[in-house]
Amino acid sequence: MAPHRSQVVAPLLRRESMGDAYHVLTFDVGRDLGAAPGQFLMVRGAEWGDAPLLPRPMSYLSGGPTPSILVKVVGEGTTRMARAEPGEPFSLVGPLGVPWRAPSPGRRPVLVAGGVGVAPLLFLARGLVAAGTRPVAIYGGRTKKDLPLDDDLALISDLHVTTEDGSRGQRGRVTDVLEALLAEDVEVFTCGPDRMMAAVADICARRDVPCEVSVETPMACGYGVCLGCPLPAAGGGYIYACTEGPCIDARRIDWNRPDHPPRAAGRAS
Amino acid sequence: MNRLATRIGALELKNPVLTASGTFGYGLEYDDFFDVATLGGICTKGLSREPRAGNPPERICETPASMLNAIGLANVGVEAFCRDKLPVLRERGVTVVANIFASSTDDFVAIAERLGGEPGVHALELNVSCPNVSHGGIEFGKDPKLAAQVTAAVRRAAKLPLWVKMSPEAGDIVAVAKACEGAGADALTAINTIRGMTIDVDTERQRLANRTGGFSGPALRPIALRIVWDLVGAVSIPVIGIGGISTWRDAVEFLLAGASAVQVGTASFADPCAAKKVLDGIAAHCERQGTSVAELIGRARR
Repeated sequence: MAPHRSQVVAPLLRRESMGDAYHVLTFDVGRDLGAAPGQFLMVRGAEWGDAPLLPRPMSYLSGGPTPSILVKVVGEGTTRMARAEPGEPFSLVGPLGVPWRAPSPGRRPVLVAGGVGVAPLLFLARGLVAAGTRPVAIYGGRTKKDLPLDDDLALISDLHVTTEDGSRGQRGRVTDVLEALLAEDVEVFTCGPDRMMAAVADICARRDVPCEVSVETPMACGYGVCLGCPLPAAGGGYIYACTEGPCIDARRIDWNRPDHPPRAAGRAS
Repeated sequence: MNRLATRIGALELKNPVLTASGTFGYGLEYDDFFDVATLGGICTKGLSREPRAGNPPERICETPASMLNAIGLANVGVEAFCRDKLPVLRERGVTVVANIFASSTDDFVAIAERLGGEPGVHALELNVSCPNVSHGGIEFGKDPKLAAQVTAAVRRAAKLPLWVKMSPEAGDIVAVAKACEGAGADALTAINTIRGMTIDVDTERQRLANRTGGFSGPALRPIALRIVWDLVGAVSIPVIGIGGISTWRDAVEFLLAGASAVQVGTASFADPCAAKKVLDGIAAHCERQGTSVAELIGRARR
């Protein structure tokens, strides 16, 4: 459990919008709350009143005294975020959850991102580069419009892009590229739609390559109270995305159990 | 003199603000946000005789100014609670109300006996109103005879103050309340959630795997307040008000209606410091008005 999570009310510093669907929100917290790549925070407009009621779980895109998140518009809460203007106060609860595990010495990190799932991987990539490792990244979306921040990722990784319609990069899916890139000394970090992560986890398991996923589920609290974020655990029972994740070894999740609801990334409304 | 003190039968609370079962874990989860010992008390996640894994996902979804949950009483079980959670709560000076759940009277009695022997448990809250489990729960809370039977059995099993949490789905909630009072309940908690449903128009399926879920949050408040009003008029034991309380003003509404204390529930998800803010707001209100919680209780009835 994160030892120093806290709640702050911080004004929006800026919003950078990439079309209607994707928005980077940066908050002026004024001090570093110590978020590590892979951790998340619960975000809610401090002036939302009774609705939308619940805060939205969002991975950190960056940390420090001005942390940022990448928002995909999927419902009422994210619509409000997409329209927020600088100065609007937000309640931020974080840092929460388990960060990405430390990269293993001697293994080459391969980052596999789908759509808005790029956010925690960009944070990870920046840390890797700062530590002297330029990662390989595979970034996929349905079309070229579903690749927010691809330019940022290209600057700090050896990037392979895929789109299902071929509008950018290779036509196909991230798994097509991953199959070709996998080698014994690789380890994979992935975040994206559930079906994508399940496919990535399956490939890694078959090739005996470590795979760390960042999961997303609906969540009311973010710190182990509401119990609204269960994932089917390998071996039975449930694990909770908020306290045992969001970053977790892919082998700990049962991706094929009937009670594993398929979720698109950016599902928190 | 403590302007905020209130009395639930034999149990004196330093203030009237508690946290609702299922929205506050086992109390310690909120320790990073504020000192939970400052509250009037906490109601634990519903404890069962054995640990429970809970329902399959999805378990929660948001609805207008409200949410649905079908957690299925996932909990660590009464033994793990006594071993791992309670000693820390006791040491911290937290007033602990243990919410207990079972699908048979025998199991209710066993849990009550186990908790009755533990220092640091200040009261039991009998959950006979959970809408999200297939056996027990709400079935006990809908029928005056069954509710009285469970209440009486637990009453005999433990000397602790006994609260019974009312279901708004009882056909005649006043009859259930009177039956529990007659069977020895020290207080009533009103209300638990009411079953709701939502359907995803894209998948054409219910959003919750359980199909229905307990409806909670600000949208529930007027219904809860009305029921608390009715119960306060019908029984002579204290009523603890719960249902959509987010701010101190909401809490004072329940006090004015006659509730002797309140529980903050879903609001803790929207704001982890909600219960503390409700408490601070009530304190400031009493200060401004030159009044006390004891004086506020039931004032709208006079």
